[in-house]
Amino acid sequence: MLKALVFLPVVGAALLAVMPARRALPLWQAAMVFALAALAYALWLASRFDPAGAAVQMFESRAWNVRLGSYFALGVDGISLAMVLLAALLSLIAVLVSRRMEEGARLYFVLVLLLESAMFGVFTARDWSLFYVFWEATLLPLFFLIDRLGGPNRQRAALNFFLYTLGGSVFMLVALLFLYDAAPGHSFAMADMAAGGRGLPLNTQLLIFAGLFIGFGVKMPVFPLHGWLPLAHVEAPSPVSILLSGVLLKMGAYGLIRAADTLPAALLATQDWLAILAFVSLLYGGILAWRQQDLKAMVAYSSISHMGVVLLGIATLNVTGLTGAVVQMVAHGLTAGTLFLVVGLLYQRTHSRDLADYGSLLGRAPRFAFFVAFGLLAAIGLPGSAGFIAELHALVAGYARWGGWVILLGLAMLVGAAYSLRVIGRLCLKGEGMALADMTRTETFAAGLLAACIVTLGLWPAPLLELVAGSVGLVAGRFGA
Amino acid sequence: MKTLLDHLADWVWLVPVLPLLAVVVTGARVLLGRAVGDAAEPLTARLASLAAFGGLALMLAIDALALAHGAPGHRRLGHWFGNGNWEASFSFMLDPLSLILGTLTALIGWLVTRFSANYLHREAGFHRFFIALGFFLAGIQFVLLAGNGLLAFVGWEMCGISSFLLIGYAWHRPVATGNALFAFVTNRAGDAGFLLALGLAAAWLGGFEWTALSRAREISVVNDRLLVIGFVIAALAKSAQLPFTAWITRALEGPTPSSAIFYGAVMVHAGVYLLLRLEPLLVQVPDVMVGLVVAGALTAIYAWLCGLVQTDVKSALIFGVVFQVALMFVAIGLGWTTLALVHLCLHAGWRIWQFLLAPSWLSITRERPPLPPAWLRQNQLLYTIAVQRFWLDKLAQTLLVEPTQSFSRDARGLEEHFIDRAIGQPGHGKALHHDRPLVRVDGLPGRLLASLSDSLQHIEYRLLLRGKGGAAERLLHRAGAYLRTVEGLLEQPRYLMMAVMATFVVIL
Repeated sequence: MLKALVFLPVVGAALLAVMPARRALPLWQAAMVFALAALAYALWLASRFDPAGAAVQMFESRAWNVRLGSYFALGVDGISLAMVLLAALLSLIAVLVSRRMEEGARLYFVLVLLLESAMFGVFTARDWSLFYVFWEATLLPLFFLIDRLGGPNRQRAALNFFLYTLGGSVFMLVALLFLYDAAPGHSFAMADMAAGGRGLPLNTQLLIFAGLFIGFGVKMPVFPLHGWLPLAHVEAPSPVSILLSGVLLKMGAYGLIRAADTLPAALLATQDWLAILAFVSLLYGGILAWRQQDLKAMVAYSSISHMGVVLLGIATLNVTGLTGAVVQMVAHGLTAGTLFLVVGLLYQRTHSRDLADYGSLLGRAPRFAFFVAFGLLAAIGLPGSAGFIAELHALVAGYARWGGWVILLGLAMLVGAAYSLRVIGRLCLKGEGMALADMTRTETFAAGLLAACIVTLGLWPAPLLELVAGSVGLVAGRFGA
Repeated sequence: MKTLLDHLADWVWLVPVLPLLAVVVTGARVLLGRAVGDAAEPLTARLASLAAFGGLALMLAIDALALAHGAPGHRRLGHWFGNGNWEASFSFMLDPLSLILGTLTALIGWLVTRFSANYLHREAGFHRFFIALGFFLAGIQFVLLAGNGLLAFVGWEMCGISSFLLIGYAWHRPVATGNALFAFVTNRAGDAGFLLALGLAAAWLGGFEWTALSRAREISVVNDRLLVIGFVIAALAKSAQLPFTAWITRALEGPTPSSAIFYGAVMVHAGVYLLLRLEPLLVQVPDVMVGLVVAGALTAIYAWLCGLVQTDVKSALIFGVVFQVALMFVAIGLGWTTLALVHLCLHAGWRIWQFLLAPSWLSITRERPPLPPAWLRQNQLLYTIAVQRFWLDKLAQTLLVEPTQSFSRDARGLEEHFIDRAIGQPGHGKALHHDRPLVRVDGLPGRLLASLSDSLQHIEYRLLLRGKGGAAERLLHRAGAYLRTVEGLLEQPRYLMMAVMATFVVIL
């Protein structure tokens, strides 16, 4: 069943690749069909998923390389299913808002569909070698997306991104091989490696974890491994920024949770260090975001800050914190998606990302004004938005573990409020107006869909919490909490 | 039916809450813009008088019950807040003292509400008046019926606020707002005493409940004295005794019905009630009781002298009130509490009638007010003193109101010149860098954030591969140059041979 999900977008990409590139609309329609089909299929899978059932469901495994002990194994638990749904939704959005794309439309849609397939693969793989393959497979479409379709600095940004993440991946690969070697089972299957990894002595675990952490930390990104992010986010075409910050960053956090499952002793030993990194990321990203007048750079840096909440949640190693981390992954995917979407659409119209070039959108473009304000407020985690649920979980869990230090999280949110309100004050309040075409129906629909998801999860988070409860409980159980 | 009657006393909270409900409904109507024009008036007035009548009926029922089965006494209805060794609760005191005064107040409240409906017809602030009046009725019933000091203090403050609102009823006249402020500020002095006493009671008597006062014997006389003095200050301020008398003469700016119920009949007696309630504490400290007698006697002389020279009906009445209340203080100071209570009830009933009649006084009597007695007219000094009301007004203005005003002016100055600058104000920020004019900072935290962000940006440039001349980029370039050199050397045959031989050596 999951095979179909993973390869459905590949079929779409293949089909699109042979379609004539002259007219963009049929290409868009075909891509929409496949993105919609993928989302519908993911939703159907979610409806078949039983949160109270087995840990990994819809599991299918086939020997890949018997001599090495690697398997083509797919399966989902609550966390990965949430990520799959997020990836499917944001891919759909990325296709949906690209309707007006004229140049390079075929290349763009093919690459986005390939990227979607690779993301599905990362989240559903139950074998570390397969995970690694899909992990690397996300790089190629992204590299070309940034390099061919990005902004003025795109080549440097693409290379920078590629080298940074590849460098991280090398550490991850070495760590995985080391784990493979050290674990008695000599199999790449996640369950086998987890069983083997848990039995390892602390020093070995720490060494392996260090490698994995560099790989995942680059992707997440964690200070000081975030160097690729601001440039890549700024230079990438806006729909790609949506996927980049909405889904790609979550791969790092997702991998970290899987690593926590495999190397519990190492996590317990480094818990406080992870929290320090999380707090530094929170403040570092927030303060640098505050400093930017470039809208896209601001959102990019704020992503670093918000992913700090995820790392903080993971670092608590208890049910509440991990739940907060997973909810924040979803919430940040949705809010960052909204923000990049709106900022991208503004850029499309004005060809400027500098806040100083914008004026009040009230009256002229009320839909823009609304979604800018909504996205920024949701990003700070205003009560009623999904981010609030996540931050509350992380705060509660963090307070139980580190006491008053969680005030730093509040401080970062305060800085976040400062830059958010600056933008809101410029764009959404009364002032010198600017002429701008408002969002079209398609764009409004895309933004409205994300906004509806954010508000729904903020007001009624029970379905998501229930979905991830079982898997989170299992991970937290490794730490006796 | 029987059980209902038994639990009737537990419904006493409705007495203060009913007027509050009327206030909420009327307030909502005003906010929603529904209370406009003549047609809206009857509903407001009916709601208010219905609430007042509901309270009166409930009080009468409880009275009847008390007459048949004895007073219900102290009733604790629920927990409010607090933990550990002290607790604030929703408790009510239904002993004869509270029942008598509560019933009397409910009756007066109902009558005044009915009277005001016609008196204020087509006034601009019709609904505002009934909101303030309902608020006052709720507050004064909290004072009279509360079973603990904290709840009574809530009512005490509600009375103060509604008094302020009604004195400033005609807010577009500077005199009215000035007088409202004067009365409010003077009353705050009394509130300070009340709060102090409450804090001391919590510390020494272990709670705010009036029942805890019976434990007064257990604490030392010194502590008791301090405790009582706090309450006595509150009582003196609220009942306009010396040295706080000046505010009441300026409080008559409000509409007549409000003057009647506040300063004629009900609120002015709140201080007397407080002292009656505190009788067990008072008897422990005879020196404070002597002080009460002195304050009462001095106030009585003051009010009597001033009353003799007043030429308008409201001022004459108010000095009459102060005189009578002063006599009650004297009675309490001498230990004659029953006399004070009876005096209070009779005085309230009589005075409300006089006050409500005051606007029609001229048309009823059609006479010139009597001249001051001859001995007073001949003693020029005394006459001047009386006319000037002992300059108390001016004294209070200088001692209480002006210091408060200048203090607030200073606080404002401090805020403008130091705190605002330190914290920063929206719209005052200066740009951090000229190329980013929208990133502005102001105040200490803003500057801190700016310098922090500068240093972080520095790190960021070092960290990133981008950035012109980033350290990482330079390092990579240098490493690349070295590697190229090594590669170039290795390509030369001699070094290649050396490398091959070295490999063999290692293998062998």
